[in-house]
Amino acid sequence: MNVDPNRAQVLIRRGWRITLVALLAVASVMVLALRFTPTEVRQGLAQKIFYIHAPSAWCAFLAVTLTGIASILYLWLGDRHFDRFAATSAEVGTVFCAVVLTSGPIWGKPIWGTWWTWDARLSLTLFLFFLLLGYQVLRSAIRVPTERARLAAVVGIMAMVLVPFIHLSVYLFRGLHPTPIVLKPSAPSLDPEMLRTLLFSFASFTLLYVGLVTLAYGIRLAQEAREQGNA
Amino acid sequence: MPETPSNGGYMIAAYVLTSVIYLGYVLVLWGRCRRVSREEN
Repeated sequence: MNVDPNRAQVLIRRGWRITLVALLAVASVMVLALRFTPTEVRQGLAQKIFYIHAPSAWCAFLAVTLTGIASILYLWLGDRHFDRFAATSAEVGTVFCAVVLTSGPIWGKPIWGTWWTWDARLSLTLFLFFLLLGYQVLRSAIRVPTERARLAAVVGIMAMVLVPFIHLSVYLFRGLHPTPIVLKPSAPSLDPEMLRTLLFSFASFTLLYVGLVTLAYGIRLAQEAREQGNA
Repeated sequence: MPETPSNGGYMIAAYVLTSVIYLGYVLVLWGRCRRVSREEN
């Protein structure tokens, strides 16, 4: 299937625009959290890590879920667009997962008294991160496009299957990680001002995910168009 | 009433590290973008 280089350029331009707006929104989240959101009495300022940790986790899980769905669609329909999207979303998801795994321990140290514990939620998130790294390594190791897409799709689906387990792990196993306070069946148990900042943060990070995926997808498309031109 | 702990350093560290990771990835994409457009020209 031929790749349109003009389409790639359109996506790259759109991706840059969305990413820059999202980065400004994320910077606003930080200012909002620091200056205009009340400080939690028992946890102190460290609790404000929550406003970057939870939305990054949401985006990581969103990215992995969409990677899995795109992988299923690729295996079913054989359309290269789905493979390209899965690869892009997995790469962006790895970045979000890296933020979750660094901001989490920095929050854990002052609150739990330890940087890391082999709690089910933490261990499974680390496992997901390694799975995503494995996904990238697998893709770069296989040169035949159809074989690469097929094998990567299987790993992408396995990563997606892990997401509900990570979300439910705080209910299934006893550990230090708290249960969700927003993504749960009952109403969010959070101060209204904190909830407003958190919702704005979720929207900003989701926009960042959209921007980064659009940009990275456009670049991938442009690279394929160039390879096609060289062949 | 419990005393609020002073642990702002952890918050600053997390915010700085998060910014470095996201901006670092944006820089990687910028580099890829430049490489692709240079090879096209």
